[in-house]
Amino acid sequence: MAQALIDLLKEKLPDAIVSSHTHCGDEVVVVKREQLVDVIKLLRDEPAADLKLLAQIACVDLLTFATELTGGGSIASQEAPAYLKASQGPREPRYQVAYNLASVKKKHRLRIRVELRSDDCKVPTITSLYPTADWWERYCWDMMGIEFSGHPNLQRLLMYPEFVGHPLRKDYPIQRRQPLVHEHDFPDLVRGPGPGPGGAGVPMSQTHVGRKNVDPNTYE
Amino acid sequence: MTQKTQAAQAADTAPVALNPDPLELDDELPSAFSKVKLGPSHPATHGTVRLNMTLDGEKIVECIPEIGFLHRGFSKSSENATWHQVLPYTDRLNYVSPILNNVGYILAVEKLIGITDTERSKYLRVIGGEISRMCDHLTCVSAIGLEMGAMSAFLYGVEAREMLWDRVAEMTGARMTTSWTRIGGVATDTPPGWIERVKETLPRVLELTDELDKLFSKNRIFVDRTRGIGVIGADEAVSWGFTGPALRASGVDYDVRKAHPYLVYDRMEFEVPVGQRGDTFDRYLCRLEEIRQSARIVTQAIEQMPPGPIIIDDWRYALPPKKDVFTSIEGVMAHFKLIMEGIHVPAGEVYGFTEGSNGELGFHIVSNGAGKPYMIQVRAPGFPIVGALPRLLQGHSLGDLIPIFDSINMIGGEVEQ
Repeated sequence: MAQALIDLLKEKLPDAIVSSHTHCGDEVVVVKREQLVDVIKLLRDEPAADLKLLAQIACVDLLTFATELTGGGSIASQEAPAYLKASQGPREPRYQVAYNLASVKKKHRLRIRVELRSDDCKVPTITSLYPTADWWERYCWDMMGIEFSGHPNLQRLLMYPEFVGHPLRKDYPIQRRQPLVHEHDFPDLVRGPGPGPGGAGVPMSQTHVGRKNVDPNTYE
Repeated sequence: MTQKTQAAQAADTAPVALNPDPLELDDELPSAFSKVKLGPSHPATHGTVRLNMTLDGEKIVECIPEIGFLHRGFSKSSENATWHQVLPYTDRLNYVSPILNNVGYILAVEKLIGITDTERSKYLRVIGGEISRMCDHLTCVSAIGLEMGAMSAFLYGVEAREMLWDRVAEMTGARMTTSWTRIGGVATDTPPGWIERVKETLPRVLELTDELDKLFSKNRIFVDRTRGIGVIGADEAVSWGFTGPALRASGVDYDVRKAHPYLVYDRMEFEVPVGQRGDTFDRYLCRLEEIRQSARIVTQAIEQMPPGPIIIDDWRYALPPKKDVFTSIEGVMAHFKLIMEGIHVPAGEVYGFTEGSNGELGFHIVSNGAGKPYMIQVRAPGFPIVGALPRLLQGHSLGDLIPIFDSINMIGGEVEQ
């Protein structure tokens, strides 16, 4: 069924398609970024395609796709050794944006994918075609830092505006903390191992928060 | 926007007429816009959502939903856990119907691996899932009543839900955090006497559902506050990404269980209720009818369910039985590898989707062949619907907000991940 959609695309917009394949029953078409809006508009409006439901916009960061090894959790999690990483080099194009489209009448589905290089991760917005794309694009911007050019209101969706970085990128460490409460009122505030029971210089095991200008020996 | 209009300023300074013209009394009073922030922990917002509203008197001029208060980093946590360790996180997406999330996630992973579970486990998943769906709809329907002042109706709904949750707890060991499915099957079989208890429970649940129906569907106050409120047409609902009862209330006959049958839904006889107007009342009616249809499915599945194993006998994916772990080297090895490294799902990308209680629940999964997911992004059914809240509230008053917001059944856990 979806092969008919791919044929339709090849007939109407032959320059737009980079490749197409089927994996686990999902039909995927990789298209050029410049013609993304044309492709999706055609698939939405053509009666034979009728992909009127935008189920999801998903984005993938392929930075560690080849180097992340086995295991899960904090114990068994392993990173590939440095020499292996160096031999493989940076992964480009690093980002993928996948549009999971569906037709509620014809009951078929198609995934449109765009591949992006890390130095130019911009995609044209499709909010004019699907109003639901508004939130999905904000989600992708918030989580992965994909810029949707032409989006009317590209703000963070789940994280707070003060948040720095994009948490679902593979180079954002899971342990990083960004407390929302500012510490600007105490410019001399320090974090880290504090004075132990033996006085200053003996590190405590737990994280310690203290003031820099206060004599550590006076701590109780 | 908040600045007073010229007319309002003029009204402030103009002398008050002692004998106003009677016709002037019908004129609209000039008023300034006021800003109201509802939430994030208002009793009427079930989840933790903040609605930033600009009001003209009681009319909603603009509504900007603000989400993320319950964001727990589902995707990031999943990337740092084995495939099975993700399962408890899925419970906490839609915590009113956790089994549906468990099933949706596991089906997506199984689609990527290319295996299917055993016959009995398919039926068990359908039974568990449909009981969960009934719980979800009962909560939603009775909460609509609760927030419009019908406290006793809510108690009927909760009584029915508690009975179903008791059955869920007997089978899975937990009321809400079930984590009950496994790759290739389910964790536990039905305990002795469970089927009989379900057969006793269902008629009582249907009786209470009829009670809710009688209390609401012809209730003047309820109908006045829901009919014609929050209307959205079929085409528009699709373009906003609506699925599930919210889409079907607008007249679109789309149910993943019928359109793309999974598990054993193609062997079940059930109807998909479809509304006509797409208003709050139709969304309520669709959910109410789905409770009855789910009960039908559970009854049929119990009749058809064959005996047999509840999990596949493939030690690459399923944990070996304890007897084999303790008595054979192959069993020990399989157990060790599965626990320490996780299941090796072949590299690839897949979008698995099932019918959750609020609509299409999708998991976009990428694997690089390691023992943990490379990426999981969830398509929560409520996410696009909450995004459409400004559209649904257009031109309504503040009082209409509550029934509209209840009828879309926002679950903070899944929308904010």
